Amino acid sequence: MVSKKITVTNSQGFHMRPAMAFANAMAKFPCDVLIKANGSSTDGKSIMNIIAACIKCGTEIEVVCDGQQENEALDAAVEMIESGFGE
Amino acid sequence: MLKGIGVSEGYGIGRAAAAVMPEIKYVPKTDCDSKSERLRFENALKIFTDNNSELAEQVSRTVGQKESEIILGHIMMMQDPYMRSEIEKSIDKGNCAEAALDSVCNTFIAMFSAVDDEMTKQRAADIEDIRTEILSILTGVKRVDLSKLDKDTVIVARELTPSMTACINKENVVGIITETGSKTSHAAILARAMEIPAVLSVENALEQIKHGDEVIVDGVTGTVIVSPSDKEKNVYISKRDEYIERRSRLREFVGRPTCTADGRRVELLGNIGTPQEAEKVISQDGEGIGLFRTEFLFMDRSAAPDENEQLEAYKKVLLTMKGKQVIIRTLDIGGDKDIPYLGLEKEENPFLGFRAIRYCLGHEEIFDTQLRALVRASSYGNLSVMIPLVTGTEEFRSVKKKVVEIMQEFDTSNIPYDKNLKLGVMIETPSAAIIADLLAKEADFFSIGTNDLTGYTLAVDRGNANVAYLYSVFSPAVLRTIKHVITEAKKANIPVGMCGEAAADPLLIPLLISFGLDEYSVSASSVLSTRREISRWTKEQADEIADKIMSLETENSIVEQLKKTVLSI
Repeated sequence: MVSKKITVTNSQGFHMRPAMAFANAMAKFPCDVLIKANGSSTDGKSIMNIIAACIKCGTEIEVVCDGQQENEALDAAVEMIESGFGE
Repeated sequence: MLKGIGVSEGYGIGRAAAAVMPEIKYVPKTDCDSKSERLRFENALKIFTDNNSELAEQVSRTVGQKESEIILGHIMMMQDPYMRSEIEKSIDKGNCAEAALDSVCNTFIAMFSAVDDEMTKQRAADIEDIRTEILSILTGVKRVDLSKLDKDTVIVARELTPSMTACINKENVVGIITETGSKTSHAAILARAMEIPAVLSVENALEQIKHGDEVIVDGVTGTVIVSPSDKEKNVYISKRDEYIERRSRLREFVGRPTCTADGRRVELLGNIGTPQEAEKVISQDGEGIGLFRTEFLFMDRSAAPDENEQLEAYKKVLLTMKGKQVIIRTLDIGGDKDIPYLGLEKEENPFLGFRAIRYCLGHEEIFDTQLRALVRASSYGNLSVMIPLVTGTEEFRSVKKKVVEIMQEFDTSNIPYDKNLKLGVMIETPSAAIIADLLAKEADFFSIGTNDLTGYTLAVDRGNANVAYLYSVFSPAVLRTIKHVITEAKKANIPVGMCGEAAADPLLIPLLISFGLDEYSVSASSVLSTRREISRWTKEQADEIADKIMSLETENSIVEQLKKTVLSI
């Protein structure tokens, strides 16, 4: 299991488009992906759960990847969030 | 008269058609064969996905790519692994597909509605839309078909879901009225893209407007008139015709060269802030990009973008513009634009402080990265690079030296670039304007940035209400400055442009024609009106106006005289 803490910096947070991009990208990895934010855990492969978690700009989150290709998945997740989802 | 929110401009007069969703009823069963129910659900999902993929493609073609993403989002929500597994679990307990879908959707709708966030709440409406659509597939209940309406129909609905809006035939629909929604809802975005006047959030619209009623939709003020009097109707008919005529007159300028009434050709370019906006400039028939602000690349993130990321953004614009001129401005931060990780200190006088080219020359690691990305990008199109807030020759020479060094390095390491890459000065300080003759010897082109030039010339902070009245591009000092810069550029035989909304101002355009401005760079939405304004004047007429104007002594008399001359013809 690998994890990393990171702050969401794109202005709109995990709204529709970033959530779509994130869930799509994570679906390519066999491992489990969890987003821990505001005291709860969210399935990082589920767009519905990500939207429901309403993660806004400035929130510190922890991405946890567990299973096959966990390192690759974590790198991809961190890069997406750091680059602000190309907003 | 009913009040709502005007979300799509224009005036529509027609007969109301109530778009009421037929109620979808089913008898929930709890003892179903899970295998066959799963199959029913899979089939319905496949039909849903196929329909929407087709719709997304159609919307992307006829309306826009961004709008089509709304529909792609629906597909993705429905294919969400968590959502599907919840529905399947419910089916495995013996529930019928309808009941399983209904209950899982309800859970999410409740979850999204409970969040105190407008965007998340709107997603609840998306799920309702998806649920209705799949339930109608499962039960075989036909939905309202908005593609087959009579001519001059005004659609009245509780709400317009994206899937309903997307199948509207815009030939027959002259207006949209709904009981819910706001400026940012999907229906509003699609209505604007289709240019159908729309008023949303009209309370009890379906009760107050009956099927077949005559209605007027005023998308400008957000009002609806039911069964108008002849007088009201006539007023709106002329408003509508005038609006349509104004718009179609502008459309006549699509595909035409930009030239004065006596055939003098000038360039008409667009200002953009993100690579995506280049598409908008093309759709409005802009002839290139006159100002691409690069600040967006640096905003909303925790570290500066690297060379490759910047290269991708610049390349995207150049490829979109297919060889047409693209002027990219180097990083213009400081002043009122702050980016936390760049470590700008609080200053007493930020507009006279460490900003734009001054900051860049003080932070070589950031500036060099941007210049390298720009030089590399030059091989993908017709690129010019513009330096903001130049005040002296030394600053511009330092930039040129850097660019030459980068090119030499690329020569030895065989990295391709365009040797004709042009480097220009953005003229936005009085000092640059005064020494325009000196800068013209160094620069490949000038671009006049009227916002800052006006502020610095008049020593006025436009945001300060006590002095804002002094801020005007029509003050004699600013007009003389602009004329001087253009004249010096002509003497040195380099092209000179203007970026900023002043270049689209009908009152300023005859003066710019007379001074000899080569390039007008305006926002995408002003491209066609600027082309029309330029086409109104011959050089001789413009000279006559300019002679008169430049002899006047006050801003007031200048504006008054221009209004009299320009707006009366």
